[in-house]
Amino acid sequence: MNNQIHHKLVVHHDQHKTIDSYIIGFVLSLIFTAIPYYMVVNQTVTGTSLLLTILGFAVLQMLIQIFFFLHLGRGPKPLYNVVFFASTVGIILIVVGGSVVIINNLHHNKTPADQTKSLVEGEGIYQIHGEHTGACHGQYPNHQVTIKNGVVTPEHTSAQKCDTLTFINQVSEVRELTFGEHPEHKSYAGETEYIIRGGKSKTITLSESGTYQFHDHLQPETAGDLTVTQ
Amino acid sequence: MMQTPNNHPLKHHIDHEVEANDRVMFGFWVYLMTDLLMFAVLFATYAVLHGNTLGGETGRELFSLPLALTETILLLTSSFTVGIAMVMAREGKKAQTLLWFGITFALGLAFLGLELKEFAEFIHEGHTMQSNAFLSSFFVLVGTHGLHITSGLLWMAITLVVVMKRGLNQHLVRKLSMLSLFWHFLDIVWIFIFTIVYLRAFV
Repeated sequence: MNNQIHHKLVVHHDQHKTIDSYIIGFVLSLIFTAIPYYMVVNQTVTGTSLLLTILGFAVLQMLIQIFFFLHLGRGPKPLYNVVFFASTVGIILIVVGGSVVIINNLHHNKTPADQTKSLVEGEGIYQIHGEHTGACHGQYPNHQVTIKNGVVTPEHTSAQKCDTLTFINQVSEVRELTFGEHPEHKSYAGETEYIIRGGKSKTITLSESGTYQFHDHLQPETAGDLTVTQ
Repeated sequence: MMQTPNNHPLKHHIDHEVEANDRVMFGFWVYLMTDLLMFAVLFATYAVLHGNTLGGETGRELFSLPLALTETILLLTSSFTVGIAMVMAREGKKAQTLLWFGITFALGLAFLGLELKEFAEFIHEGHTMQSNAFLSSFFVLVGTHGLHITSGLLWMAITLVVVMKRGLNQHLVRKLSMLSLFWHFLDIVWIFIFTIVYLRAFV
């Protein structure tokens, strides 16, 4: 009988400890949700460091759930479930991390010209070892081309290299702006077409010189040309 | 006091029960881990495709952070209440168990309602699964989580009706612990959806 009461007390004591651990876990998880949310809303840090910080908080949050809610590692030994969990996390890191790394490589490893372009546009590098990369650096004038009721205004655009050009779609339907003459398409600065949704616009940097024709693939008579001089 | 030597039939029986219980729980844990692997593949797909919007709106233009935060708080709270509910179930307190599981159920339902409202708004504005690769991967990832929540709620409702009718027994407590494990697990998956899908869109 005595033994039974003792047993009951121990159980009760354990349950108290469990409730405490749930409360601690809950408060911590709320804090670790609020911090990354606040950082993203206020942009206290930006870019990769912000991304890494919020991912770090997600991992912390997961650990809180595992230790305070799931009580992983407190079960009977040997801890097969912990081992299984660890191997699952390993596979996840390989699958998710591997996919992201491979796709990023695909995005970066294009032609050398594309690489230079991404270096310049993405990283702002316009000189490598004192040599000009041929990329644009600084502020340049902007030109505008409007597509409305099947007409391109202005029909002829002259610009200097590195200027920017904005195509504005003033109709409600989607437009497919393509370079070259219909139906044979050519490319400009590595791009063959821009899909511009109704009421939206697309700005490009004129990083290649020459004369280029462009038209709306969905309505080939809507056409214009572009002359870029050095 | 009765002596219970090691070879007592009752002790054998209890040992056997405990062992069976551990085996069932481990089996369920294995299921959860394989489910986690499926979510990992969906996360990888989303991570790869989230920029491919085909000229359409990006996540930054579509998502509402306050909504995502509300959903997160609802689910975190439900993960806490399901924990308390399990403590009550293990102590054999039927009324308390039903109360805390009831709160968990309500929170889960509110979460699901908000998610469906978000989906309905997207679809109404013409942002469907067919729009672009970003939205396809978004709907599949978040929708799969939503389906898990739905099945969790159904499971909870059925088990609670049985508890209400028959009271708590060892068998039902084990069912409830699997359910609570499932619920904590869905909370962990959601935290990564909140971070990688919603917060990341604003980085």
